[in-house]
Amino acid sequence: VKVDEMRIGDIVGADNVSVKHETCMIYSKDVTSLPELVYQIISPKFDVITQPVDVPSLQNLVWYATDNNIPLVPRGNGTSGWGGAIPARGGICVDLSNMSKILYFNEFEQAITVESGITWRDLLSFLGRLGFTLPVYPSSATAATVGGFVASGGLGIGSTRHGDIMKQVLGIEAVLPNGKIVRLGRVLLDEQSDTLQTKVDEGNEWLAEELTAVGLGTPEQEKKLITGTYGTLGIITKVTLSTIPNLQLIPFACSFDSITDLVNAAAKIVEECQPYYLRFLADNYTSKLRALDGKESEKGKFILTGALLDTIYQNEENIDRIQFITKEADGLALDDDRAWFYWDERLFPLRIKRHGPSLVPAEMLAPLDKIPEIHEETKAELRKSKVAIEGTLSNDGTTSFMVWILDDERKSVSFTIGWHRSFRIAALAEKFGGLPYAVGLWNGRHSKKFYGSGAFEELTIMKKRLDPENLMNPVKVFGGRVSAGRVSSSLGFLTGFFVALFLGWVGPSLLGWNWLAQLLNSIPVAVFPVPILLWISLVGGIVGLSVIRLMTLNQALFIGIPFLRILSKILRK
Amino acid sequence: MKSILEGEGEFGKDFADKLFLCNLCEHCTSVCTTGISLDRFWEVARAEARNRGFLPEPARFVLESVKSRGDIMWMGSADRLLWMEDIEEIVRNRILKPAKVAYFLGCNVSLKSQLHEVAKSMVKIMEYAEVDYTLLADKEVCCGAPLGWAGNFEGINDMATKNLELIKSLGVETVVFSCPSCIQTWSEYSKLLKEENSLELLTTSQFISRLVSEGNLKFEEQPMVTVTYHDPCISARVLKATEEPREIIEEIPGVYNVEMTPSKQSTRCCGGHGLLDTVDPVLSSRIAEMRLRDATVTPASRIITECPRCILAFDLAKFTTGYDTTVQDITQLVGESLSSKSGGVDEGS
Repeated sequence: VKVDEMRIGDIVGADNVSVKHETCMIYSKDVTSLPELVYQIISPKFDVITQPVDVPSLQNLVWYATDNNIPLVPRGNGTSGWGGAIPARGGICVDLSNMSKILYFNEFEQAITVESGITWRDLLSFLGRLGFTLPVYPSSATAATVGGFVASGGLGIGSTRHGDIMKQVLGIEAVLPNGKIVRLGRVLLDEQSDTLQTKVDEGNEWLAEELTAVGLGTPEQEKKLITGTYGTLGIITKVTLSTIPNLQLIPFACSFDSITDLVNAAAKIVEECQPYYLRFLADNYTSKLRALDGKESEKGKFILTGALLDTIYQNEENIDRIQFITKEADGLALDDDRAWFYWDERLFPLRIKRHGPSLVPAEMLAPLDKIPEIHEETKAELRKSKVAIEGTLSNDGTTSFMVWILDDERKSVSFTIGWHRSFRIAALAEKFGGLPYAVGLWNGRHSKKFYGSGAFEELTIMKKRLDPENLMNPVKVFGGRVSAGRVSSSLGFLTGFFVALFLGWVGPSLLGWNWLAQLLNSIPVAVFPVPILLWISLVGGIVGLSVIRLMTLNQALFIGIPFLRILSKILRK
Repeated sequence: MKSILEGEGEFGKDFADKLFLCNLCEHCTSVCTTGISLDRFWEVARAEARNRGFLPEPARFVLESVKSRGDIMWMGSADRLLWMEDIEEIVRNRILKPAKVAYFLGCNVSLKSQLHEVAKSMVKIMEYAEVDYTLLADKEVCCGAPLGWAGNFEGINDMATKNLELIKSLGVETVVFSCPSCIQTWSEYSKLLKEENSLELLTTSQFISRLVSEGNLKFEEQPMVTVTYHDPCISARVLKATEEPREIIEEIPGVYNVEMTPSKQSTRCCGGHGLLDTVDPVLSSRIAEMRLRDATVTPASRIITECPRCILAFDLAKFTTGYDTTVQDITQLVGESLSSKSGGVDEGS
């Protein structure tokens, strides 16, 4: 992609743009490590990094990208592992972390409006001082941005009481792929300082017409357009979230010898106490936590930990109940100090990284009662790998089941071969009636199942209308053509070439068509002493190359993952 | 970083310069979900830049200055006596006197005239509380922290040892620092301290808070002063000294603290740490302006902090933004709020 740094500098401010190799490399990664081979199907880095500071300059940037056919990828702080913020076709990275103001808070409406680049930690510390907190925030709250989590969705701290983050989003403002600014749902702002109202009215009117034209447009459908779709349908610029009063917080923690006991206790605790947050850590997770050295009742055990956020009286009652349930399920209730330890650790789920040092995440949403079976099956499936398993419970009887596969990217062959294991967990989810936890880049194959086929169809229609050139976060969610690297291009060419050569050589003799064999061996042009067979093989090579160039990411994964699996069986990695 | 070291990208002057555009404010370490000490990582990367001969000129100057003059700004040991002007009579007998407490000023407070008040206030407080203290005066040398920021780890221990040997020879048990970075540096890099950990290293606020709780300081009612406390990065994130200054402010009648957002361990850096103020003063000042804006939206009329670098950074930002506010060290606030000794005695009797 050709980018004009000066022109982009004019739009977002010269200090807010960079094309330096190292800057582009840093912004082109998220929390996971990818094997080098992956860069044969997606581009290894962005061409330019931008940090817009306000909505009008972001709007101009979107217009510039559309005019010049350059892909745009919105990015929070890259704390997810599903590839939603990494480049698939290069282009412009729109880092939103410079748009981080708190714009509006009203304690009576229990709502707060922020710019999308603010981190959850900053937002929590602001609210904490006013006696409020958030119903749901991610476990990566220390660095994750509000926009990033809202755009990708998922469970977090608070989900056991309040469900996923989407339910807490009252309204959003977004810049659509054609540069129109829209506000969906209830975006609360101070009217006097709202300078975008005219543009928003125009954008909303346009979007309403577009949606009506395809028979959509209920508020519910509208909100779903931008939330949870990884910025493929627009860049989130403002979010209005609901807030809750910060009542008495009491963390608790219990340890169990088996996952079945833990799940039994967890199901009862959710039903009877409605805790704010409930998380489990499997034996393979706790055995890797250095801070648990010497703690026999915790290291290598199954830990159920969480917190109550309620009135003092309610909490007193519930704490007793939790202790009773734990005892009943053959568990051990840990003391306050340990409970606070696990509460503080909720924001540091990656402490196990040092056992890698690389992390490959694999996660699913599964019914809570199936967790013991899934746990067993996962352990069997990944018996040759180092894994650490944890999960967060939701309020609808499901739980996230997070498998951190610990590997070492420095050992490039085994890391590449082992990379396919994360996809096997998504297949396991299917078996047990679960879903992949997130879509992003890598789980695009499961989009239909993830969003529901009706909703996904609506999203696809709108993607085509709003972004016909597929420039806004391309390839994510909806799939799309890959950017073929040198190795994959050469592989395509050679495969095509040799397949044609082989067929031309063996085919005629198998069929007994000698005339064809003679024809293929003849030399049509005397100046170039090359038989027809070789010319045909060359054409075969070009066809192979074209197939690679036209291949979509999902097709590439469909071919590549079984291939890696077979390799891993052969090499016993 | 790894791929650049391995030669995938270019580790040139340009990249090295970027490594120095970091405050080393420990924010990334505190938010890292894997718990990696990223600040040490940046320091190691700076050392690599130094090995490859790409040290930015201002950082080279600081290294040279610490090596040949014992301070960060090419002055000399005699200049470390200048702050004592007007209080010579009080401090004369304190210099290198064997005592339980040593007050370590650090280069900035000793040598920069706008910070001399900080040292004078600290002396006033210790005199008031009748603390048995000593001053290293012209025998004090740089703590070594700027060496680490400029990628020279080897030199830090020598600088720390020079100071520590002197301190130990005076029979000191507690060292009080005006600059939190000195404590961090000695705790991490001094072999002497690691071998025999008998010295207590305290920030001024930790020490003053102790004096307050022991009842050694009495305050006079102040005329309704609203202040906002700015947590220096190292105090808050490394030394975890966030409550002590707030407790002190709470103790002074008539002085009220309002919190800035962000504060305590999520505090925002003033821009003056990690040599950024010398390598890129404009960027440093822009960061200080951001922090100053955090203060302007509070009703506070005064910013209180406990790090000389923060005071200097805010002074610059005040100039560039035209925003007029008072920035003080916690010792200055405490020093000017002390009730007169005779009054205290009268009340007691």
